[in-house]
Amino acid sequence: MDALTRRILFLALVALSLPALAQDRAAEVQIKAAFLYKFGEFVQWPPATFARADAPFVIGVMGADDVAAALEQVVAERTVQGRPVVVRRLRRGEALTGLHMLFIGREDSARLAETLAAAKGQPLLTVTESDNAIAHGSVINFVAEDQKVRFDIALPPAERGQLKISSRLLAVARRVISI
Amino acid sequence: MRKRIALALLWMPIAAGAQVLAAGSLADMSLEDLANLSVTSVSRRAEPLSQAPAALYVITGEDIRRSGVTSLPEALRLAPNLEVARIDSRQYAISARGFNNAIGNKLLVLIDGRTVYTPLFSGVFWDAQDTLLDDVERIEVISGPGATLWGANAVNGVINVITRSAHETRGTLAEAGAGNKERGISARHGFDLNGGAMRIYAKAFERDNTVRANGAAVPDEWHNAQTGFRGDWGSAARGFTLQGDLYRGSIQQAVGDDTSISGGNLLGRITRELAGGSRVQAQVYYDTTQRDIPGSFSERLNTFDAEAQHSFQATPNQLITWGGGHRRAYDRVTNSAQLAFLPDATTLRWTNVFAQDEVALGSRWRLTLGSKLESNVYTGTEFLPSARLAWKLDEHRLVWTAVSRAVRAPSRIDRDLFAPAQPPFLIAGGPDFRSEVAKVYELGYRAQPAARLSYSVTGFYSQYDHLRSVERAGTAFVLANRMEGRGKGIEAWGTLQVTPAWRLNAGALLLDQDLRFEPGSADTNVAAAGNDPKHQFSLRSSHNLAPKHHLDLMARYVGALPSPAVPAYAALDARYAWQVHRDLELSVTAQNLFDHSHPEFGAAPNRSEIERGVFVRAKWMR
Repeated sequence: MDALTRRILFLALVALSLPALAQDRAAEVQIKAAFLYKFGEFVQWPPATFARADAPFVIGVMGADDVAAALEQVVAERTVQGRPVVVRRLRRGEALTGLHMLFIGREDSARLAETLAAAKGQPLLTVTESDNAIAHGSVINFVAEDQKVRFDIALPPAERGQLKISSRLLAVARRVISI
Repeated sequence: MRKRIALALLWMPIAAGAQVLAAGSLADMSLEDLANLSVTSVSRRAEPLSQAPAALYVITGEDIRRSGVTSLPEALRLAPNLEVARIDSRQYAISARGFNNAIGNKLLVLIDGRTVYTPLFSGVFWDAQDTLLDDVERIEVISGPGATLWGANAVNGVINVITRSAHETRGTLAEAGAGNKERGISARHGFDLNGGAMRIYAKAFERDNTVRANGAAVPDEWHNAQTGFRGDWGSAARGFTLQGDLYRGSIQQAVGDDTSISGGNLLGRITRELAGGSRVQAQVYYDTTQRDIPGSFSERLNTFDAEAQHSFQATPNQLITWGGGHRRAYDRVTNSAQLAFLPDATTLRWTNVFAQDEVALGSRWRLTLGSKLESNVYTGTEFLPSARLAWKLDEHRLVWTAVSRAVRAPSRIDRDLFAPAQPPFLIAGGPDFRSEVAKVYELGYRAQPAARLSYSVTGFYSQYDHLRSVERAGTAFVLANRMEGRGKGIEAWGTLQVTPAWRLNAGALLLDQDLRFEPGSADTNVAAAGNDPKHQFSLRSSHNLAPKHHLDLMARYVGALPSPAVPAYAALDARYAWQVHRDLELSVTAQNLFDHSHPEFGAAPNRSEIERGVFVRAKWMR
């Protein structure tokens, strides 16, 4: 879609006062972006994952440009763990080096498994929004419940990556999977 | 959603996400609140409180920080439904829906659930109420009666200052600022403690004296220092909060030694979510405050308060909230020969129980019925009922209406004030003073016609009876209740997100008040009840010029005050902030750019003028 078409579409949407569905997705995206930022404050990474004292906190976003855009807004003037935040948009198959957190947009099982396998054992907090993502090794998976954005946390992949998840984050999770 | 709104009408827990406009502000919410945020409620983002059947405006922490204000009363200027008039370096007249007065008595003010009104005159000593503004999460301002939940005194409004959980304030903040009228420093450190979080803060400031219109100095220079802490443990479902403050200040006087004020408080609160989604909250606090005006008056007030509430879903369509509380205050004053509160020491007690039932009538109608019974030592038990009805036209429009009865129970000034201190008295208390009563009818409409635009309009009609008057009793004057009248008006405000980086807020207040004395009353001074403008307008612009450059402008116009006459004025405040480095923000705030100085309250020629102020600040945070 070219820029002009997008602009016309956007104006049309505004004029029609955005259909409810589009609005709900917009809200969902905003909430998820806020959560991604928050997760950074409630998880501890092994110190070695930061090259320098002032090294940035790097969040990769794969297959969810809307979330990436919202997240860029959120972190523009904020820090995570006292560090500036860099949002990196990734394409499927791109290397995951240098990331502290990776958000993978809605994906089918096979592709999700592939990406998560690459992240396995890394000190990398993987966050997903797909059914069965936990089974494929994701640490945090967003789920919709009662019109709310909730999430499940799996501890084993976090432990393999030497990530420590604060009890407060666990308390907010819908489910915590420990085996 | 229904449950959140019901809670919103209770003390603390409003859906913090309420006035969310972008992910940026969502990121300031706690994890717990995010997890409870309904997607559909965020869609109607500009009015998250769009379901509350009351004239409720929320000043967000971000609004406060971006305005550059340095005190709570100045922050309250951000609420379009409040009248805020600065009297001098430290005193303010603040009210909603009329009756504005240096000793205004129809507004209830709470800071983190702690009532800060003084039983001396049922108002607020604004110079003793402070907190670290960077740690304020939001200020909820309700114009109109809130007596059913908050009790006597919440006649024309409730202000609820809510600070952030200690979980949200980890890290260190240091701030220093200086300007032509004031200077201040503050620091806060937040850290993990025993599985929870704790923060400690300290701040100090000095404000220069004000001047009269003829340029003569008003001796009211003010120094103040405050420190405090807040610790939070557990989660929203099972949490414990402990917090406290200590403060000390001194204010120059025309003659004699400085006035000194000091005090402290300690508050503990637990919340529990029980099976079936019911929720219990209990809170206790102790507050001590002292004021010594050498040569004329001193007061020492110790307050103990305990309260609890329980809310539960009685049926799928009914949410019941009920609770009760007890407060006890020991007040001791030192009188002067000219003016005395008699007896000089007294114990005041208030006990209350309340219940409220929120009933969903189909999917569009919601009825809220409730009442509080509150006893006080002067008039016994007061009955404070209200009924509210909300009609959701569709997802974007809400009509609500409410009928309430509220009272302003007597305070010491109404019953115990004598002059001189020995007979024969010129003023001989108010032996028969009873509660002032308001019956209030409200109609409101809230809408979000487009994703970027939302607004609220409220009309009200208030019938007042038994307002305070001064009557003759033999050779003396006594305080009695022979003023009555009505007030009606409109409160409107709206928000327009012009672009993702630019937001406009506008507000308007129209007030028409008609007060008179009952036949047979000897009083003629209606102006003693308050001094209010007939209209007030504000326009605020928040603009992110670039990711690290913020410009905020606020213009306001306040109509003339009738008696004592204060001319109408317009004021423009501006703040420019630059995030120099990820840890460092520099800002400059200018207040009252339109004129060199103007008065906001009080009688000429001795009243203070409020001068143009420029304030430069550096904030370091990591």
